[in-house]
Amino acid sequence: MKRRTLIASAAALTAAPLSAPHAQKPAVVRWWYHFDDPKASPAALVAEFEKANPGITIQAENIPWGGGADYDTRLYTSIIAGNAPDAAMVKFNNLTRLLEMDALAPLDKLLAGWSGKADISDDLWSLHRAPDGKAYYLPVQYVVLYLYCRQDWFAEKGLKLPVTFDDFQTAAIALTGGDRWGFGLRGGAGGHDHWCSFVLGGGAKMVKGGLVAPPAIAANRWFVGLHTERHVFPPSAPNDGFQQIIANMKAGRTAMTIHHIGSANDMVAALGDKITAVPVPRGPQGQGWTSFGDGSNALLAQGKNQEAAWKWISYLSTGPANVAFNKLSGQVTVTKSGAATWDVQPKRFVEATVNSLPIAATLPSTPQTADFTRTVWPQTTQKALVEQITADDMMAIFEKHYFG
Amino acid sequence: MDESFLLLFFKKEALFPMKRLRLFLGTELPLAAILAFGLVPFIWMAVSSVRPDEELTQSPVRLIPGALTLVHHIELLRRTSFAANLRDSFVVAAGAVALGLLLSLPAAYAFSRFRFPGRRFLRVQFLVVNMFPVVLLVLPLFFVLRGLGLLDTYVALIMGHATFTLPFAIWLMTSYIDGIPADLDEAAMMDGATGVQVLRLVILPLVVPGMVAVGIYLFIASWNEYLFALMLAGRNVRTVTVALQMFIGENEIHWGLLTAGGTLVAMPAVVLFLFAQRHLVGGLTGGAVKG
Amino acid sequence: MRLGSPALPWLLLAPALAATVLLVLVPVGETFWLSLHDVILFRPRVRPFVGLGNYVAVLRDPLFWESLGHSVVWVVVAVSLQFGLGLCTALLLNRTFAWRAVARALVIVPWALPSVIIGLVWTWMLDFNLGLVNQLGVRWGLLEAPIAWLARPDTAMAAVILAVVWQGFPFFAVTLLAGLQAIPREHYEAAEIDGAGVVVSFWNVTLPGLAPVIATSLLLRMIWVSNSLDLILVMTGGGPGTSTHTLPLYAFLKAWSGANYGYGSALAVVLTVLLLAVVISYAVRAGREAKA
Repeated sequence: MKRRTLIASAAALTAAPLSAPHAQKPAVVRWWYHFDDPKASPAALVAEFEKANPGITIQAENIPWGGGADYDTRLYTSIIAGNAPDAAMVKFNNLTRLLEMDALAPLDKLLAGWSGKADISDDLWSLHRAPDGKAYYLPVQYVVLYLYCRQDWFAEKGLKLPVTFDDFQTAAIALTGGDRWGFGLRGGAGGHDHWCSFVLGGGAKMVKGGLVAPPAIAANRWFVGLHTERHVFPPSAPNDGFQQIIANMKAGRTAMTIHHIGSANDMVAALGDKITAVPVPRGPQGQGWTSFGDGSNALLAQGKNQEAAWKWISYLSTGPANVAFNKLSGQVTVTKSGAATWDVQPKRFVEATVNSLPIAATLPSTPQTADFTRTVWPQTTQKALVEQITADDMMAIFEKHYFG
Repeated sequence: MDESFLLLFFKKEALFPMKRLRLFLGTELPLAAILAFGLVPFIWMAVSSVRPDEELTQSPVRLIPGALTLVHHIELLRRTSFAANLRDSFVVAAGAVALGLLLSLPAAYAFSRFRFPGRRFLRVQFLVVNMFPVVLLVLPLFFVLRGLGLLDTYVALIMGHATFTLPFAIWLMTSYIDGIPADLDEAAMMDGATGVQVLRLVILPLVVPGMVAVGIYLFIASWNEYLFALMLAGRNVRTVTVALQMFIGENEIHWGLLTAGGTLVAMPAVVLFLFAQRHLVGGLTGGAVKG
Repeated sequence: MRLGSPALPWLLLAPALAATVLLVLVPVGETFWLSLHDVILFRPRVRPFVGLGNYVAVLRDPLFWESLGHSVVWVVVAVSLQFGLGLCTALLLNRTFAWRAVARALVIVPWALPSVIIGLVWTWMLDFNLGLVNQLGVRWGLLEAPIAWLARPDTAMAAVILAVVWQGFPFFAVTLLAGLQAIPREHYEAAEIDGAGVVVSFWNVTLPGLAPVIATSLLLRMIWVSNSLDLILVMTGGGPGTSTHTLPLYAFLKAWSGANYGYGSALAVVLTVLLLAVVISYAVRAGREAKA
């Protein structure tokens, strides 16, 4: 009798560690995200998910963006210290760095068994592929940069909305005058998106020698000349950030600028039908380049609850949940089913976004890119815009940064 | 009629127009100019926080708002976590003041009144550690606090803020104690007081203005700190500086929320100082020296 | 002078020392150790020891020297203006007038705001198109045309200095005001009896009485301003080009955006050593003057 109880209790003891995590202890998924709107809370999504998945608790933490630096700093520190969340929102320009840190868990196996995969277009999957061919990012939102135009001013002057660089230059010159400027350039950090459209779209290539080849040099001279010779950007352009380019557009100080659908409702509230959007103009050989602004979820390799974390991030990229998510984030749904009924922004801006997809691209996924966008690009470009260095010096510096 | 009767109703200066004019030209007018410089950006921000959104990008700018709205303040307090963040900031800043004063007062007293080997070195040491740019301290400090299991707690931030406030506080406090004539404590020593008694009975009452200044410094430095608040806390403890940073997104600045928050954030320190400044008075009188 | 046992000063210092060792000295030592390695943040497992390699690279880096030059301008101009304005404010606030309490409380408003708010408000006020400064300047005839203050290499540094002076002068106002309280009133009375005017008693009574507080607050503020980068980061990010690029900003960008933590740490150590040299020469001079 005594012996039997002993065995029974021993059995209970050994059984406990096996059964307890599943039966009693809920899996806690720490998830980091950033929404631009501080009033937007994912609480409703979390509640719905937790209801459908009892046993999983989501701890969502909104991390300040801080121009990208704060979010990344926090993420890197947590990874280095072994304190990383289970899942986090991430951007493509960080992929190589995160891979070098061995910070990410590959998703291929999980994706193979996921029914939602087909609802995300192949274009998006190919834009997110890692250099090693595996998938680490699960797309959850996106934007594509397009060109805002004051169509009322274009009509006044009898101009057509720009399709080519020539159209763009003609319009920019015609619409500059008094306290109005043709194009609101973002010359501060983050403005590489604008520059890429003109210079990578104009023939420069992100391969060794591609930034100092003749078409690249010509395109960049033209770009810098728009400011230094033709004066179609406001004098404040070298230090303008997104808030200035949008404010100037809303205030009627600039006729065009490059941004994305995230600001469409704001623009319409200020300008109504006077504003529209088209894809960014294309270069002389018909090629074009516009920045694909991605947003994905990734699983961190350190995470202890990868299975539960995957359930959560895959839920966020599924039909209705993804639509709800993007209403909070102010971007566009990645699902085909969600896109069919998308009505968050006026149609003309959605069309400009979709029509821009064929030329949408990202900067190469190399470790140099993060430093390029945050430091090298603004410093060098600003020097060229205020004529401390020449346009050709500028390209030489970029070539050196990327290709040594 | 007796003149002192009038003094019940009028300020003394009012009775002497020349003196009044001198006070106005020599003190009030220049101070008003300095205050204007100090307050115009703040007022501009406060005014922006009660403007409707569409006015913020109107060109030319309207100096006087066309309409007033409290929508940003209401959104700030109802739809964001700002009120809770204010509480967190207050706890951290109060903790930083308490810790800072508690540690710096005895240390400063030791530096000011004792001569012991290594005194100079130690004193300079406190400055040197403070010269190191904080942005590079945060990663190692992260490891220290993680080792102590303190990440994301009030204590983490209070300790984190002590890294850069404590040396300041000690130095500042030392210079205030240096300003108190030493013959006072010598007199007390003659009467048989111990070192700790001198600190408590002689120095402490006289260094109150210095404590107010150091306290305000500690409070504001902690209240306004961002980097540590971002890195060492976040989920359970989130200060207002981190909350304000949330209003600056990747593609959008919530100018209404930001200005409303900015206006509120300055208030605690100002109100606190309004009460504390009454202790910045008097100066040492002959009576104090003799007593 | 002997006050109790010789251990007393050590007991009094112990808590503060313990806190600094744990919270500052250990992290500083670790950062110094990292500066001797090639530390790339996203390669946590590969950290070759490079000795003084990072330091040699720093000395050969033209941007280091340029940033150093900007740092000197930034510190000297900003601290002297903060001090001058703060001292005037403290002296005025020490007089007796009806609204003194309110004035004292209001003067700390700029200091009581987080840097990020200050940076954004000043960026907005100095905005080319929608800024108050340009609009009023043009209307009042002070400016011929709006100026893009933050986008011109010749005005950007002045603009960020303006913002940091605004932020920092209340610190001097408050610390100096508190220092004024320690000056015995009879010293002024004695000067008055000697027939000294306002200016003379300022030189002979106020300044000597305030000297320890002035010396300390200048020193502390200098250290603080030389290490502060948040206003610059928000307002110009170091631009246009590198016109407002200072040393701590450079260290920060290298360590975090550039992910080159070893190099960033070396920059931080160099900055500390330079500051130390300034402080020591300052302390030696102050010591000599005190003896004289």
